[in-house]
Amino acid sequence: MKSKITAKLWVLGIFIFLMLLSGCSLPGLSSSSEDTIKIGAQSMTESEIIANMISQLLERNTNYNTTVIKNLGSNFVQQKAMENGDVDIAATRYTGTDLTSVLGQKVEKNPETALKIVQEQFHKQYGYKFFDSYGFENTYAFTVTKKLAKENHYEKISDLKNDANNLNLGVDNAWLKREGDGYEGFVKAYRFEFGNTYPMQIGLVYDAVKNGKMDIVLAYSSDGRIKAYDLQLLEDDKNYFPPYDCAPVVNEKILKKYPEIEAQLKKLIGTITTEKMQELNYEVDGNLKEPSVVAKEFLQENHYFD
Amino acid sequence: MTTLIEFLQINWLETLYKAWEHLYISLIAVLLGISVAIPLGIVLTRMKKGAGFVIGFVNIVQTFPSLAVLAFFIPFLGVGKLPAIVALFFYSVLPILRNTYTGIKGVNPNLLESGKGLGMTNWERIFLVELPLSLPVIMAGIRTSSVYLIGWATLASFIGGGGLGDYIFIGLNLYQPAYIIFGAVPVTLMAVLIDYLFAKIEQKVTPKGIKGIKETV
Amino acid sequence: MEVLQQLGTYYSQNSTYVLHEFYRHFLMSIYGVLFAGIIAIPLGILIAKYRKLSSWIFSITNVIQTIPALAMLAILMLVMGLGTNTVIVSLFLYSLLPVLRNTYVGIISIEHAYLESGKAMGMTKSQVLWMVELPLALSVIMAGLRTALVIAIGITAVGTFVGAGGLGDIIVRGTNATNGTAIILAGAIPTALMAVIADLALGFFEKLLSPVKSKNMPQLP
Repeated sequence: MKSKITAKLWVLGIFIFLMLLSGCSLPGLSSSSEDTIKIGAQSMTESEIIANMISQLLERNTNYNTTVIKNLGSNFVQQKAMENGDVDIAATRYTGTDLTSVLGQKVEKNPETALKIVQEQFHKQYGYKFFDSYGFENTYAFTVTKKLAKENHYEKISDLKNDANNLNLGVDNAWLKREGDGYEGFVKAYRFEFGNTYPMQIGLVYDAVKNGKMDIVLAYSSDGRIKAYDLQLLEDDKNYFPPYDCAPVVNEKILKKYPEIEAQLKKLIGTITTEKMQELNYEVDGNLKEPSVVAKEFLQENHYFD
Repeated sequence: MTTLIEFLQINWLETLYKAWEHLYISLIAVLLGISVAIPLGIVLTRMKKGAGFVIGFVNIVQTFPSLAVLAFFIPFLGVGKLPAIVALFFYSVLPILRNTYTGIKGVNPNLLESGKGLGMTNWERIFLVELPLSLPVIMAGIRTSSVYLIGWATLASFIGGGGLGDYIFIGLNLYQPAYIIFGAVPVTLMAVLIDYLFAKIEQKVTPKGIKGIKETV
Repeated sequence: MEVLQQLGTYYSQNSTYVLHEFYRHFLMSIYGVLFAGIIAIPLGILIAKYRKLSSWIFSITNVIQTIPALAMLAILMLVMGLGTNTVIVSLFLYSLLPVLRNTYVGIISIEHAYLESGKAMGMTKSQVLWMVELPLALSVIMAGLRTALVIAIGITAVGTFVGAGGLGDIIVRGTNATNGTAIILAGAIPTALMAVIADLALGFFEKLLSPVKSKNMPQLP
């Protein structure tokens, strides 16, 4: 029947239309054009701050166009995004995580060795340049209130062993299932489990532990709120977590195509200490500033703009 | 495709648990919504003046994006199942309230007159005339509400509420398509199933006399 | 109230950023609904004419409608990658049903008297379509676009989880930060406002386009 054919043509048309749409760049939304350098930011404050720093450096000091792709959930998502061409520069990658989740290797505890391995392997396997660290690390940190730590004499993670069954642990959305440095590995290393685990947005854990909604949380060590809330980090006495030094990763093809990127990135390498990062993070998480604003202030204060 | 089957083999129990969690927070929220919205709707039909304003206000709140409403409750209620249920509850009230009001208002005034004529009290009129006749419209509101809630409960995981949204977020964060699929597909199936079930209940509940009338959505 | 003060601080520190995300959010929503309109309005007219098709097309769009937003976005992301286009395609899919249904209802509700007069005046089928049916159905179609846009604005907020930006970014940042309430409000309020204003604006056009409904006999030219 004529009408059935017309209807089927419509459905086919819709399908083709969707495919076409997925490729093109619509006016006003610049994210997928060919000449824009795409900087990927993980869904963490420090990642967004640094991604904005890179974006502003490039836009101010060169005539490149950039866009920041936010909310990438993890190192692995960033890697996939780079492989798909959705991201050209990954603003923050962490040596320990990339070693296990991307390269699939066994955990390496020595920071220098870890960095060397990822630098070599990323170049060999992917043609990506893994730069040297910005100067800070962001590791997983079991965190409790100082009060709880004092009452129960918690100084290191092993001290939790006897009470663990009664503890409520708040974690980010991914750690429970991570391979290599996640919960499974943790249980093997420390030989105990927590009573209840609650995955949630990472930003919520700090208030949760401060307000007693969670007994203990797995925080990120470079967050400014650990100091601001006067929380207690527990020592990783079995050295379970690998080093997580932070550095940018860029596709070497992009470095060739846009030669000025390397020089601009090098301006940031080795210049941000852990304390500085905590401060900058707190500006966003505690003082209501957007990462792009914090990035701009940092760059201006330190005269990065030529 | 093998990884999908492997995933299911390892995680089927957890998937079922998450599905149950998801259903749990949605249905509790709907039940709470029903228990507040229907009486409130009846009260509104008795009000001469304020009703229009309340309904107008409710319509405006309905346009608020759900993510905003959910996030809004975090500072007050914290994280976990309770805040998720409360936020979802607010959302469930609106369609049911609106439909209860419209349904009861839509009851043929002649029937109300006959009720009065028979000597029925206000309460008897409500339970013997108005509610039964507006039941299909109310049911449509409950159906909309439930399907809606199952959808938005996926966001509850974002505030520690659990449910199948957990899988979707893990999948997005770790780039594991298997998690995305086992979060997205069951939740969609659940929504479609509930929609279908409630549609059937709606049909059963429509008195034969008014089967032709279109529903208010 | 302290929160209001913080809200003020946030807006004063980050105004360019907020405006930029507002614009982005709005564009994504408009594009999604626009594309849906381009496809769904003709399709709606088609199935109004050929009723037999309507049931399966409505079944498909109904199912699409029940898919939870986050699920749809996540699945599309697997195929299309991150970014605004993934959100726009989701919005397109979600906008199909309201626009389709309203176009369909709008066309079939037109009283036969009007169609008959058109035919009687010697109009061809397509002239009847463009000069009688569409103008009369316009306000109902507008209502469909309006519903679609309000829904789209809500779903675009969830687009933050697939890297598309928009006001959802601010809302999510609020949940991660400490004085979060102010930031959440800073994102939520513009989003809600956008939805309410869109609802009112399109509602206004709807009334404007509504043919003069008289209880008396229609006036024939």
